[in-house]
Amino acid sequence: MKKLYDLKNDYLKVQIPDELEFLVKKSIMKKEKNMKRKRKFLTCTASVAAAAAVFVGTINISPVAAQAMSNVPVLKDLVKVVTFREYHYEDDSHELDIKVPQINGLENSELEDILNDNYIKENEQLYKEFMEQIGNEDNLNEKYFALYTDYEVKTNTDNLLVVANHKTEIAASGYETVHYNNIDKQNKLLITLPSLFKDDSYIELISENIKSQMKEQMKADEDKSYFLENDMTDSFTSIKEDQNFYINSDGKLIISFDEYEVAPGYMGIVEFTIPTNVLQDVLESNYYIK
Amino acid sequence: MKPKINQNIVENFLIENREAYYRLAYSYVHNKDDALDIVQDAICKALGSSKSLNDPTAIKSWFYRIVVNTSLDFIRKNKRLVYVEDEDLEVLGPSKSDQYEDFDLQQALEKLPTMSKTIITLRFFEDMTFEEIAQILDQNINTVKTRFYTSIRKLRIELDDIAEFH
Repeated sequence: MKKLYDLKNDYLKVQIPDELEFLVKKSIMKKEKNMKRKRKFLTCTASVAAAAAVFVGTINISPVAAQAMSNVPVLKDLVKVVTFREYHYEDDSHELDIKVPQINGLENSELEDILNDNYIKENEQLYKEFMEQIGNEDNLNEKYFALYTDYEVKTNTDNLLVVANHKTEIAASGYETVHYNNIDKQNKLLITLPSLFKDDSYIELISENIKSQMKEQMKADEDKSYFLENDMTDSFTSIKEDQNFYINSDGKLIISFDEYEVAPGYMGIVEFTIPTNVLQDVLESNYYIK
Repeated sequence: MKPKINQNIVENFLIENREAYYRLAYSYVHNKDDALDIVQDAICKALGSSKSLNDPTAIKSWFYRIVVNTSLDFIRKNKRLVYVEDEDLEVLGPSKSDQYEDFDLQQALEKLPTMSKTIITLRFFEDMTFEEIAQILDQNINTVKTRFYTSIRKLRIELDDIAEFH
């Protein structure tokens, strides 16, 4: 019997290859991205096909149908987001996948130029930094890391376009962030969080609402966890004045937190939908938030 | 929301326990590249089916089951002699005289049917309970126990044979 335990030592002594950690994280990332892409693709084709089938019959008959139709991509209007440029790099220990979005169709708009310029500059910078980090062929950095950026249209209604920019860095550990640009298509404005409200009392209203949502969620589901202990130094107390947010197609305000910002890593990026009635008193208007 | 949480729990588990399940995969193929292939394959399968994980506390046996099955698939598909890396040969080989017996036991273990070998590996090397092993192998717990004790006897008998031979 004792010999079996010696075998156990051999078993536990098996050398762990350096690339294992990177391979595990890369596999997780790839799978995640593929699943996202697949989902998006499926929902797209399904809704467009269904809409096309009824389109001819209903568009001129009912104004309600016409309005409902406007939520369907492709048949909608001319404002859209396309991939302007892609960067790809891959060797045994590094991987880079960058997609630069470009907003099209905000006619002659300075805003469009500024946003698109920013997208290009930011991603070029990321690309440059990445390539500097990995070194050159003669002196390749042996540390494993990867960088992925991607974009997603979160909301596209008559008034609103919300573009989400995802960034994931994998080095010692994976780190996922997202940034939203909320664009008023009609007035060609970039919507900021403070601009939605009369004064800064929204910060406390939203923070309190999020705290009670966190508590409820943790009570209802013990798998969920947020940094909400009073004695913890990095526990959640308040949103930032310019907290990451977006407005969904129902006109609801969604507050978003990056990975690790208010919850342990396994929770990923977390979002809270703030009920409009909580905000009604301090809202500047109901033009965006309904 | 639930599937998303599951997904995150699975991802976390995969990152934190990578060395343990790498070793398990390695114990089937005894070489680095194949073990990494199995790991990659198992991760894809796990993330693709994270919805089937009904009870997140059972994640270990859920994922080990995937690793074991992926390893067995791999061996079936690549039917050939399992080869041993140089560094292992050094450890197992005849350079040190007191390693002889371990080498024989290792050989004996390798000669067991795969299910018996998996049971021994999980029970002794991974310290898993019979219940967990039964879940991983999708077998009745009594079957697992019987297999286990038969295998132990077998390993002993074989070792005795070898001792007599010397």
